[in-house]
Amino acid sequence: MSFKREVPTTVMSGFALSGVLVLTILNILLQNIPTKIQTAGDELLKLNSSEGVANAVTSVVVYFRGFDTLGEIAVLFIASLGIGLMLESNSKCDIKAEGNFMLQTASKLLFPIIMLFGIYVMIYGHLSPGGGFQGGVIIASGILLLLISHKNFEVPHSVIIWLETLAGVSYVLIGLIGLVVLDKFLGNFLPNDISNMGLLLSGGIIPIIYIIVGIKVGSEMSMIVQNLIKRDGDV
Amino acid sequence: MFEFFNQPEVIKTIVTIGSMALFFVGLFGLLTQKHLIKIFMSIAIMETALFLLFIGLMYKKSFLAPILSDGQTGFTNMNDPIPHAMILTAIVIGMAVLALGVSFAIEYYKLTGKTNIDEMTSLRH
Amino acid sequence: MTGILILVTFVGLVVIAFASIIQKKLADSIILFMGVGLGSVILFFTFKAPDVALTEAVIGAGISSLIFLMALKHLGERA
Repeated sequence: MSFKREVPTTVMSGFALSGVLVLTILNILLQNIPTKIQTAGDELLKLNSSEGVANAVTSVVVYFRGFDTLGEIAVLFIASLGIGLMLESNSKCDIKAEGNFMLQTASKLLFPIIMLFGIYVMIYGHLSPGGGFQGGVIIASGILLLLISHKNFEVPHSVIIWLETLAGVSYVLIGLIGLVVLDKFLGNFLPNDISNMGLLLSGGIIPIIYIIVGIKVGSEMSMIVQNLIKRDGDV
Repeated sequence: MFEFFNQPEVIKTIVTIGSMALFFVGLFGLLTQKHLIKIFMSIAIMETALFLLFIGLMYKKSFLAPILSDGQTGFTNMNDPIPHAMILTAIVIGMAVLALGVSFAIEYYKLTGKTNIDEMTSLRH
Repeated sequence: MTGILILVTFVGLVVIAFASIIQKKLADSIILFMGVGLGSVILFFTFKAPDVALTEAVIGAGISSLIFLMALKHLGERA
């Protein structure tokens, strides 16, 4: 192990000492937490039955903390913009190696199944574990499978631009409609009875917003993956 | 022996020590490695350790996951859903920042051909 | 039963993470990094958090490892 000669012993001993100190202090502090604390989550679970959605984590992400999800989508957009700026090129990409014939046949069989699974996870996000982020990334991995097995496959730019723009604008529009109708940004203005809990059409605007988030995340991830794989000249 | 390991204090101790050990493994990699991509990998390991600590401390043994199953009607005896929502956001943002950093490293290699951090001295003169 | 499962998984996770950092070739480091993602998915599932486990499985073992593999390809290192 050649790294032992480059690191001086004072650094390693100070490192080990600080590690032991942090561990003992944390261990002593955490033993004294009482086992029944009244957290904010208990009150939220009681409030959750007024929304009529079976998945409590979905209603926290989309409805009770919906503004944070809007900020997270903005961060993803800026990251995708930065990657596209650094790795994009105008010259025609000239891939010299194509996939094996086994890979081509298998990817044609697997691609519809992966897309179907991704859309299922995205739409049933308020009834079972899943949601917009997970479904979008599954769709991007399906497109990745086609990108590495065929030589001339490319997702066209205009499709991704229009999908992202429409999804981002309609998120803010739904929030503004809630502001006009109910005096609350991202208020729930569609019918959401508790008697519908467990059905597909329940919870008001919560499934609609999660599908919009899923479309935006899926198209951004596809763009990031395509920029990383295809680059000018040296593939 | 099984009853000893299932007490809540013992589980909290194991979670704290284990995730802090993973954090220090990542910190060790950040301080001693010389290749640029391995530094990014150490940062990702440190983030995973923090997520494990966050969710492991709010684990109560006899409670259920915060989703309504078939036979239930009310939201009682469930885990806390707020830490799950925050960690979901944090995982996605961590991945986005990592992708941006790796694309910068690739561009720097295409410009100058160096990946060892001891040789990147172009700002020193 | 769950206490012993958590203990064994944590020990395996720390050993795999340490082995991933001190490898000499970059390709071996990336494959062991995927093992860290797998161990953390098992732990999230034991802590009864299904949404977080699904997100970590898709992003940590899917997209994050793909980013490092693409960096390996563009940097010109032999696998």
